[in-house]
Amino acid sequence: MRPVETTRRGQVSEQQRSRIGHLKEARKLLQFAKDYIQMGPQPRRGLRNKSHLSELLLTFLLVFSQITQLKVTAQTLSENSTPSAAAVVPTSTEKLFRLERLPIAGGAELISIHAQLQGPAQNNREWTPLVSILRDTLGDSDPENDRLRYLWPLTYTRPGLAQRLAGAVPFWYTRAGNKPTGSRKTPPPVIDLSAPEKQAWEKIFWTALQTVLLDSYGMPIKASSYTYRRNLSEYRRSQVVRALSVLSLYQAVGGAPAFSEAEMSEIQSRLLLTDKTFGGLVDDHHLQRYYERQVTSVRDERGHNWELLRQRAEAESLIFEPLEMPDGSTTHAMLWIAKDELGTKRKQTYDERFLNISDPRSDNRLKNWNGHTETRFYDSENRVVAANTAGAHPVEMIPLALYGLDNPKIPMLLVDFRDSFNPKKREMSRRVLQDVTRNFVSLSGAGGVAFFLGRTVFDFVTARRGMDINQPSRLRTYSQLKLLLALNNSLEPELKSQIDARLNRVSVNPLENDLNTEVELAHEQYQALKAYAVRPDGLAAKLDRDRREEMVRLKHGKAEQVLFRLANILSFGAYTHREKASPEIRSRLDLARRITYHTRFLHQVAKSSARVEVVWNLDEVRRSLQFIADYGAEVGPSATHAAATIFLRTEDDETRRVCLASLSRIQNESAKAELLRISRDSRLDLVWKERVLSYLNKPHPASPTAAAADKSRAERFGQQ
Amino acid sequence: MFVGATNSFAQAKRLVVLKVDGLPYSILDRSVQERNPRTGKSQLPWIEHVFYQRGARLRNFYVRGMSLSAPSWSLLDTGQHLQVKGNVEFDRYTLHTYDYLNFIPFYFKNAEGSRIDMPGAELLDALGLPLLCDAFPHDERYISFQLYQRGMRFATLRDGLKNRFVKNPRELLDEWTMGLQTRSVFFEQLEKELIQSLDNPKIRYLDLYISNFDHVAHHNRDRDSQMMELREMDSLVGRIWTAIANSSLAADTAFVMVSDHGFNTDEKIYSQGYNLVKLLGSRKGGGHHVITKRHLLLDYSLKGVNFMVPLITTTTDDSYYLKGQSTSYPTVLLDFDGNERASIHLRDNDLNLLQILLQHLQRNKLPDPVRRAATDAFFATVERRRVGWQKHLNELNEELVALRSRIQDQRKLWEAQPKNFTRREIELGYDDQKKRVFAQLEKSIGQEKIYSEYGRTLAGLLALKQESFAPLKLKLEDLIAKQAMGERNSIYQLQNYIVGEAPDGLQLRADGSLDGEKSFARVDYFALLHNITVRNNVQPAVSNRPIDLVANRIPSSQIKHLVHEEGLTADVIWVNGGGDKQALILAREDAKGNLSFRYLPIKGLTQDALGGFHFEMIAWQRDLPLRIFEDEQLIIPRGEDRAAWLSEWHTDLEWLHALHLTKYSNGIVGLYEELAYHRNPRLDLDEPGISPEEQLNRRFTQRQRNLAEADLLVVASNHWNFDVRGFNPGGNHGSFLRVSTHSTFMLAGGDKTQLPRGVIIDEPYDSLSFMPTMLALTGNLRDDKTPLPVLWSKGFRRFPGRLVKEVLPATPGKDPIAVTGASPTH
Repeated sequence: MRPVETTRRGQVSEQQRSRIGHLKEARKLLQFAKDYIQMGPQPRRGLRNKSHLSELLLTFLLVFSQITQLKVTAQTLSENSTPSAAAVVPTSTEKLFRLERLPIAGGAELISIHAQLQGPAQNNREWTPLVSILRDTLGDSDPENDRLRYLWPLTYTRPGLAQRLAGAVPFWYTRAGNKPTGSRKTPPPVIDLSAPEKQAWEKIFWTALQTVLLDSYGMPIKASSYTYRRNLSEYRRSQVVRALSVLSLYQAVGGAPAFSEAEMSEIQSRLLLTDKTFGGLVDDHHLQRYYERQVTSVRDERGHNWELLRQRAEAESLIFEPLEMPDGSTTHAMLWIAKDELGTKRKQTYDERFLNISDPRSDNRLKNWNGHTETRFYDSENRVVAANTAGAHPVEMIPLALYGLDNPKIPMLLVDFRDSFNPKKREMSRRVLQDVTRNFVSLSGAGGVAFFLGRTVFDFVTARRGMDINQPSRLRTYSQLKLLLALNNSLEPELKSQIDARLNRVSVNPLENDLNTEVELAHEQYQALKAYAVRPDGLAAKLDRDRREEMVRLKHGKAEQVLFRLANILSFGAYTHREKASPEIRSRLDLARRITYHTRFLHQVAKSSARVEVVWNLDEVRRSLQFIADYGAEVGPSATHAAATIFLRTEDDETRRVCLASLSRIQNESAKAELLRISRDSRLDLVWKERVLSYLNKPHPASPTAAAADKSRAERFGQQ
Repeated sequence: MFVGATNSFAQAKRLVVLKVDGLPYSILDRSVQERNPRTGKSQLPWIEHVFYQRGARLRNFYVRGMSLSAPSWSLLDTGQHLQVKGNVEFDRYTLHTYDYLNFIPFYFKNAEGSRIDMPGAELLDALGLPLLCDAFPHDERYISFQLYQRGMRFATLRDGLKNRFVKNPRELLDEWTMGLQTRSVFFEQLEKELIQSLDNPKIRYLDLYISNFDHVAHHNRDRDSQMMELREMDSLVGRIWTAIANSSLAADTAFVMVSDHGFNTDEKIYSQGYNLVKLLGSRKGGGHHVITKRHLLLDYSLKGVNFMVPLITTTTDDSYYLKGQSTSYPTVLLDFDGNERASIHLRDNDLNLLQILLQHLQRNKLPDPVRRAATDAFFATVERRRVGWQKHLNELNEELVALRSRIQDQRKLWEAQPKNFTRREIELGYDDQKKRVFAQLEKSIGQEKIYSEYGRTLAGLLALKQESFAPLKLKLEDLIAKQAMGERNSIYQLQNYIVGEAPDGLQLRADGSLDGEKSFARVDYFALLHNITVRNNVQPAVSNRPIDLVANRIPSSQIKHLVHEEGLTADVIWVNGGGDKQALILAREDAKGNLSFRYLPIKGLTQDALGGFHFEMIAWQRDLPLRIFEDEQLIIPRGEDRAAWLSEWHTDLEWLHALHLTKYSNGIVGLYEELAYHRNPRLDLDEPGISPEEQLNRRFTQRQRNLAEADLLVVASNHWNFDVRGFNPGGNHGSFLRVSTHSTFMLAGGDKTQLPRGVIIDEPYDSLSFMPTMLALTGNLRDDKTPLPVLWSKGFRRFPGRLVKEVLPATPGKDPIAVTGASPTH
């Protein structure tokens, strides 16, 4: 496999300049951090002093944040990358997405989705890798033993030093420049899809650590550590959202099938669940349903916000323009005002609610507007038409605001073309509240009834009334907007550029990078990932370690597994128990994965229908049952229960027979209990009852098929 | 003998009805036909298995009337012509609200014992119209929670919550993490109870009402979300069918799936809302304080958390003469529920006029000439309305006397009720009967109070004498009832509606009289509504005009001489499509109660101040209301001229055959069903043998129904809605568009039911066919239309709808139903 190369000629000086700038910025930050720690509020001082200090600090930071924003400049994007012809899987939507598969030694593949992006400062579109996912195939083409493992949003990176330092400064609500490009480090994944529970435990561990240990070291440590963790987590979340958007979009436009339907819903639901503390612990059986519900909920919110914004625009005589993603979904919308209507008085007073921008008609800034304007033509029914359409009249329009639609309750203001600070103010308001209460006043939900009640009432009222100061989902919408800017063709380049510039100023997370840098980082990181993937000590070795970790549950009981997990957590991840690889244990891993695959399928079958044959293809069901029958000694109670339920929910003799064969070969008590339960079913006719009893009374021999398959599997893994 | 004859054809001993709110046949059918790529089976395998392969489905089943839940379920559940005309109805005299969809106040009232049935069932009881479930004894039926619900089982709520929360902690943690689905708690419990009840061979009627699809389709236009709900429903069908198959009455059970309306939802279009409340509150809309029964922007308001939902008043600052009086003198009642239509009640315009004049006359510094002219105008208005108002007042007073007497009787009956009931008596529903007595007593006491109040105020107004008139000493609220709309407005009033004083104040003519034309600001509501356009027109398939048509009922006595027709029913429906595109729907009824209609294209309908109507008849052409002429799906007899055929009288069945595939499906019949008065045999004042008191009670009940009639029925253009409670971008219903009226009706049954298998019925039917078909299926009809004596005694009467004969058991060469030719003699 020939690696994909990206050339970035003519950019060196730009990058060097950028790095020098960042170094200076980092030095300033270090100095600031020192000063800050020195003058940090004394824990024993009164609340009044604390508040006073926090006000001063806040003011300083806000002023500072505005100055640093002025430094953000547009950067030139890299030239087009040239994908390897052998690696590219052509898609039906070749103009927008393409798929690349890279085989990994040891039996896996790296699947990457590339999109043709157009950055705001670019004229040419280029292919940019956006998301990579590792699928562990155990070296065969059978999907039954596949495991999805790591997911890399390629714009997600380890923050630079300056970013990290800024990220630990409380009340630093602005970006801290970009991460210097040119690094060859392997990008960090956002999730291990095969072990999502790790993240849940990590979250719980860090929360405990923060509460028990870090919080006790006084305000500076407490505030810094909390702020840093929060920024890191939100940065990660924003990248998760981006990955989700890319995957949804790829799915919606019907790209070449990279993942099965089940895999796609697993990836997406696991990503969605990263938002929740216990999300990683949710059982796989629920993933499909959870994903469907989330899709419904997001589309519901989108539709409501579309309509709310249209109605509010209509009521204020503004012009509403939905912005579409390439799949036709409207995730954002803009409001404009007709230039010739400025200064006109309307009978009704302007209502700012939900729009969250000031009255444009009485705004002097718009009268002397020298920003972007557009002229569009409308027919007699107020439809946008071509300029040469008979009867069309021109309207010169000034952009007012851009909103995100994918959030609960109300459209979220992302860009206010007259007041860049407006969305930032809203974005910050929630954080300020959280930071002041947590870091300075030391109040938390569990800290006092009064605070808890006050906070609950505040949250309820602001959420109920749809006030735009309490929007945890703003992050999501920003991330989507970045994607929209890169993919949407309908926006004028000048407007795109203006939106991007404003968007960068709005960001409150010091760890965020701007759009151009992200594109550059995506290319770099993809190259690094591919290099890592082909290195013998790279991805293949990591995969091997992961498999050996996965093998732990095949060799050890539950108690031991818990101990290993505990050791892992307490050593901050330094110790991870892994089994020694051997052909035998790899064969067992292969078998365990297949059993999981068939058990999950049978569980789904058993749960889904009152009569199996009406809904399912019985050949497929019998195949899974047969597999369970063949490896009865290895399967758990879940498969037992599924087989018994399927027996009772089918009238197909052959399927029933295989169910009984499965149950008879499963060597555990639950299988016997299930057989007993079946034998006692009053609706079962005598012939079947007798068969069930015969199975109960004499143990069934092990399946010869299984023995043969075991042998062949062991041989295969031995060769590997 | 009749019973024996009927029973020999009646095969289904048990009826299981799955009532699905808002399930469009077209979406369901498309989903059933679609294959699941993994299994190769239908996307809705159970519906295919049960109803497509082992049952019968009606490909053309339509709502008769509006595609709105409360009216539509009432048609399905009673089989009688429409009496419930909206999801919410208001009484014009008292602002009493009939809120048919609001479950939560019902639960509270039931818990405190003041109500036993949902408001819809309560109203139908008052009208003497029994429900389908009433055909079965109390202990032989299982009824789920629904719009026309009888009784309440708090145990269902309790067990539902218990099942949701008392479970494996791991499962609970997963559910909590993913978000608890509280909505499904009770549905799951109801399903569980239904399936348990199927094990009891004594239970012969079971129903389960589900509304998840309707709920999702209002919010989500996308196929995935709707398909998710359809798959849930499909699984439910499977579970019920399997439970039926496992029950002892499997062979005798008929399983029916029915829906109340279709759904106007499109994957590529957001349904757009238009705010009529805001329009009516604006200066150009009349500056009205508007009452609704749903909170505006409910989800965005703190008041919206109030489950008991009082009347919601939207106060306007643009009121001409009622500033600050929104709670005392609202002048518009608006029901927008259902969303593709709205019903608007405007206050009797002469009350506006009187109030404006009285407000002037109560000013100290009014110039004498103006005072004189205003006083004259005031009394001229009272005199003009005196006959009508006095008649209503006299009748109301008579009815209130009868009501008081009934209250006494009811009180005695209540006092005579036993305190405790045995288990058997509870099974038989005696405790519910007792609660019904109390609920009726409570209701009657309330009615007596509020109608008496209105009567007193009207009497005060009528008692005024010009010679002793001293406006400064009068209290306005003693003459003009607070929170009342008075009588319904005439077309003239709606076209010249006085909303306040003109900008230059009261103007006098040369003769010193008040110049009514110049003194008042007026609104023509038909023009106002039709001229609405919006600025943002961003969806290609959606027009920039939210209003499609406005419809009104006009007494045929006022119009028949202009249309040169005899034998018309009492009502003519005027349909105004804006500009010169209008029509009259004329109706006739034959001796058997069969209806015929004529659609008469007209233009420029106006009514003058004296009540005379003026319009011009026009030829059939494009763009008339319901757009029939240009519709390619119109089916008329081969060789017939389209305009000629359309100009003739046709029976409702002929219209249904001709129109059902057109864009507005059965709009002609639907508009008449919705807006006309329908004779209710149970309220027949001339029924032999009824006491004078009973006669008055019946008249009072009729009056209450008439008082719920709105002034204007406003129907939205395609993909528009009037929802102001929130937003329904996914889709809506309520209109007469085929997409909204095309509904679902499918049946399947065990061997002994003899229901046909794998049959598609193309013959069009409407909602009126459902009830008689169900009764015929269970052997409860003595002929095509008439219920058995046992049901007759329960209040069931002759059904106007056609039986779906294709699904009824038939023996070769015989009429499928035992037509005895007997007439009811009960």
